Amino acid sequence: MWNELLYAFQEVATLPNFLAMFAGIWGGVIIGAIPGMTGTMAVTLALPFTFYLSPVTSILLLVALYKGSTYGGSISAILIKTPGTASAACTVLDGYPMARAGKGGKALNMALISSCIGDFISNISLFFLAIPLATFALRVGPPEFFMLMAFSLTIVASISGRSLVLGIISACLGLLLATVGEDMYGSFRFALSEDMKSGLGMVPVLIGLFALPELIKMIVFRPEDNAAAMKLGDNRLTLAEFRGSIKSICRGSIIGVILGAIPGIGPSTAAFFSYSEARRTSKNGDKFGEGELEGIAASESANNGACGATMIPLLALGVPGDVITGVMLGAFMIHGLTPGPLLFQNNLGDVYALFIGILFSSVFLFVAGKATAGAFTKISRIPQTLLLPCILILCVYGIYSIGASPFDVTVLLVMGVVGFAMMLLNIPAAPFLIAFILGPMFEDNMRRSLAISRGDLGVFFQSWISWGFFALTVLFVILTIRREWKKWRDNRDATSASAH
Amino acid sequence: MNQNRDFYAGLVATVFFAVILFVLIPIYVKVPSFIPGFAPPPDMWPRVVAVIGLVMGVLALVLAFPKMREASRNQVEGFGNRILGNKTHLMRFAGILIVFAAFVYGMPLIGFVPATVLLLGVLFVMTGNFERKFWMIGLAIIFPVLLYLLFTEVTHTPFPKGKLLSANISHLTTLI
Repeated sequence: MWNELLYAFQEVATLPNFLAMFAGIWGGVIIGAIPGMTGTMAVTLALPFTFYLSPVTSILLLVALYKGSTYGGSISAILIKTPGTASAACTVLDGYPMARAGKGGKALNMALISSCIGDFISNISLFFLAIPLATFALRVGPPEFFMLMAFSLTIVASISGRSLVLGIISACLGLLLATVGEDMYGSFRFALSEDMKSGLGMVPVLIGLFALPELIKMIVFRPEDNAAAMKLGDNRLTLAEFRGSIKSICRGSIIGVILGAIPGIGPSTAAFFSYSEARRTSKNGDKFGEGELEGIAASESANNGACGATMIPLLALGVPGDVITGVMLGAFMIHGLTPGPLLFQNNLGDVYALFIGILFSSVFLFVAGKATAGAFTKISRIPQTLLLPCILILCVYGIYSIGASPFDVTVLLVMGVVGFAMMLLNIPAAPFLIAFILGPMFEDNMRRSLAISRGDLGVFFQSWISWGFFALTVLFVILTIRREWKKWRDNRDATSASAH
Repeated sequence: MNQNRDFYAGLVATVFFAVILFVLIPIYVKVPSFIPGFAPPPDMWPRVVAVIGLVMGVLALVLAFPKMREASRNQVEGFGNRILGNKTHLMRFAGILIVFAAFVYGMPLIGFVPATVLLLGVLFVMTGNFERKFWMIGLAIIFPVLLYLLFTEVTHTPFPKGKLLSANISHLTTLI
């Protein structure tokens, strides 16, 4: 093991990897700091460029973008009261009052330090949890994988949006789109044109769905431009202030790791949960919301704590827990690697190199955040009316460069319109994307299981692992239906009460 | 306004999955005459997914009715009125569709770089914010050209030159 780790360290410690991590962290912070731009956008926009990089460098670039954007969201949250990303929504509550009181720099410092600590703890947990989980997953066959994917999709569908029904509709759309092209036995499905025979490219679909709707929304509804940014002010974070928040940072990091490792939950929920726990248990709980450093520490440690942990199910089981890890799964596939237990068996060197690189990225996050906090404050003032059209052009060039195919550009634009329509109809995009990526594997495992069992559906219930995932899926569906039924009944009662 | 969205989402999903199930699958998913072993036919999975989608679409419609009743009781304006009320939004959306279609069909004719310059320029105009006119004009020209240089030098991507442009150049060469 130690030899492999040493070899992996040598593989990571190269100039292209360090450059990719620095570029990823900086790019992520910049994109995360711009309101309306998300970590998902940052990662999907970078996807076409990973074609020209080695597998490890590509994943390190994407992970660095993810972490950078998660921290970057706190900059606009603190300085202009607009969270750059959803996971920084809690940071606004205490960050902006501090900036108004002339302590914006102090708030940013606390956000950076707690983000880095949360991130580091998350990376360590990835190292220690992913390997045992992958070893266990080696005993899993096609029927169990089918059940696992059904379970993951159910969670993502029910948590991503307001309603389980709309989440399942979104997942079905993604699964259907994934069937376009040639299937595993050479039959063509939904090949409406010659170009569609080879299926729809993953990258144009992902970028179209996540980067373009924001532009279309801006053109159609023309919202107000960015608010004015506050100044950094007092910059110094004292040791006593840090000590006062250390408990919240540690708790937030652990909450981030636990919630991040569960598919479908992710950094936003972790940040809210950690913030409310810190508020409940802190002796300064009544000051939360008025500019309390502990509030920023709790929220930022949890959202960055979830970043590394979301990689646990991805690397060990090959199941992405959220949209960003879904895009990363796409990046693995582009390079001919399939995350899951076999990755640990066949490409252990790459896995160790990733672990070490991800640990390095925490240090890069700290250095980049510390050195350029002042410069990043200007980024949040870039007007979206200039930025979003330029992003579309960047996407068009990036997509075309992958396969020199005008059809891919058409898919990109069509998916942008589809994404906008889904946004209008409140249909969540995350289940669509994860279903689109998992779709071929999902179907492949189902068809292989049925082929092995000669068409007997009982194959899906032959092992305790299958039964376990089936029970969890049913339990989750029942809990969600119960929640929705209660909501529906409350609505009905309110309706009848207002009628009388 | 938010209350009717579930109904429309359900309606769109029901129609979409019904078209997939009853029209597109029979035509565009061919079942081969021989399937090796006991593997399920290629139309099985799309059918299963489309049936689940259809059921969910109908369910979304059914669950939206109480909200619809409440909306009508509160004299919320109907969908038709709302569309007419948001005519500007509809026009802008239609404008985007036209611009995207023009780009897709025009790019092979006029070439990739001129098409992206035009697309960026039109998108800037469509944002409706003319406070930074010089930035807009500069970016619309410089940004696509820079990207073109970057991608041709670094990734050696062969971008389409445009049939019209190539035809004119070859015509000029013949004349010379």
